[in-house]
Amino acid sequence: MLGGSSRDARRTERYLDGLMDAEERGATEAPMDLDLDRAVLYAARELRAGLVRVHPSFRFEEGLAARLAQAAGATPGTPNEQPAQVFGSIAPFRSRRAIAPAGPAAHSGRTTARDALATLAASRRLSLTSRPSRPLVVGGVGVASAAISIGAVYVAWRWSRASQTPMVRAARAARFGRAYAPGHGRRAAVLHGILGVMS
Amino acid sequence: MFSNTEKIARPARLDRDRGLVDAARRDPACFDALYRKYLAQVYSYAFYELRDHHAAEDATERVFMQALTGLPRFEERADSFADVRGAQKAADEIPADASTFRIWLFRIARNVVSNERRRDRRRPVASLEHATGLAAADDTFETAAAREAGSAAWQAVARLPEDRRRAVVLRFVDEMSTAEIAEVMGRSEGAIRVLLHRALRSVAADLRARLS
Repeated sequence: MLGGSSRDARRTERYLDGLMDAEERGATEAPMDLDLDRAVLYAARELRAGLVRVHPSFRFEEGLAARLAQAAGATPGTPNEQPAQVFGSIAPFRSRRAIAPAGPAAHSGRTTARDALATLAASRRLSLTSRPSRPLVVGGVGVASAAISIGAVYVAWRWSRASQTPMVRAARAARFGRAYAPGHGRRAAVLHGILGVMS
Repeated sequence: MFSNTEKIARPARLDRDRGLVDAARRDPACFDALYRKYLAQVYSYAFYELRDHHAAEDATERVFMQALTGLPRFEERADSFADVRGAQKAADEIPADASTFRIWLFRIARNVVSNERRRDRRRPVASLEHATGLAAADDTFETAAAREAGSAAWQAVARLPEDRRRAVVLRFVDEMSTAEIAEVMGRSEGAIRVLLHRALRSVAADLRARLS
C-alpha cells in the first residue's frame, strides 16, 4: 500500500511524463490528474518554461572536437579490428586505426618492390572511409594545373605564329622542302604549308 | 510477491547508442558522433550545476575526455533497469529509448561536477556577471529577455538542496526519466520520485513568495 507522499509523487511523475510527451507532440496542454497538487502543477510549468537547455559556443564546440580528435588519435581502437599482417606503412588521414604496423622493410630502411606491392594490397583491403584520400585530391589538382599550363603555352605559341602572313609560311615551306630529301620531304613540306595556311 | 533482490525476466533491450558506441570502440575518431549528440546535454547539466560559463566548459571538456579514454571499459547493460531498483517496475514502464551510455556519461559528469564544486567551495570564484547581477556586454535584447524570464526559475532551483536541484536539472533540462535519474544518481526510483515532488513544492513556494 502506497503512503500519501508516494501516491502524490507518482501523480507528479505521471504529470511530468505527460508534460514532456505533450511538448514532443506539439500539444499545448498535458493530461493531468485532478488530484494533483496545484503548487506542483504551477512549479512544473514554470520550470519547463524557464529551464532551457543551453548550448556552448561554436568556438568551444569545435575546439573541443579538435582536442578530442587529437586524443582519439592517441587512443587505440579494438585490437582485433586491425589488419593482422600488413607490410609497409600507410599514412592515416582520418583515423589512427588505419596505421598499419611497420613491416621488416620499414625497420631496415629499405623499400623493395614486394613491400610496395604489399602496401598497395593493404591499402585496397582497407575500407573506403579509412583509406587515405588526400593523395588523390592532390594528384587531381596537379594534373589539372599541368593541363592548364600546357594549354596556356599552346595558345601563346599560336598567337605568336599567327602574325606571319601566308606568303611567309609558303616561303618557309619551300625552304624546308629544299632541305629535305626529294619526294617524301617535298610532300611533307607541302602538307606543312597547307596545314599552316588552313590554320 | 517479488523480493527486492529478485530480477524480473524480460527481453533485453538494446542501447539506442549501441551503433555509435561500437563504432567509437573500433575507431576512436568516431567518438565525435557521440560527442556532438550529447554535448548540449552535458554542458547544460554542468552549467546549471556550476552556474558559470567557463567552469561549465571546463567540466564538459573533462567529461568527454574521460568518456573517450574510458570507453573501452564501458559495459552496456541492457538489463540495467531490471536490477534491484527496477524489480518493482513493470516491464512496459521501462523507457524504450533508454541509453546506458547516456547514464554512464552522466555519471562521469556527476563526478566531475562534484569535484568542481568541492574545489570551488575551497576556493570560491564567481563570474563577474554572476557577482554583479549585470548582463554581459554582448547580450542581445532577446538574450536579456530570456535571461529575465528564466531567472526566477533559475534562482528558485539554485536555492534547492544539492540532490533536489540535480534531480530537477536532469528531469527538466536533460529530459531524463525517473529510472534514468535514479541510475545516474545511484538512488532508488521511489526516492527520486519523492525528491522531485518535494523539489517542485519548494520551487512553487519560492516563486509565490517572490510574486507576493
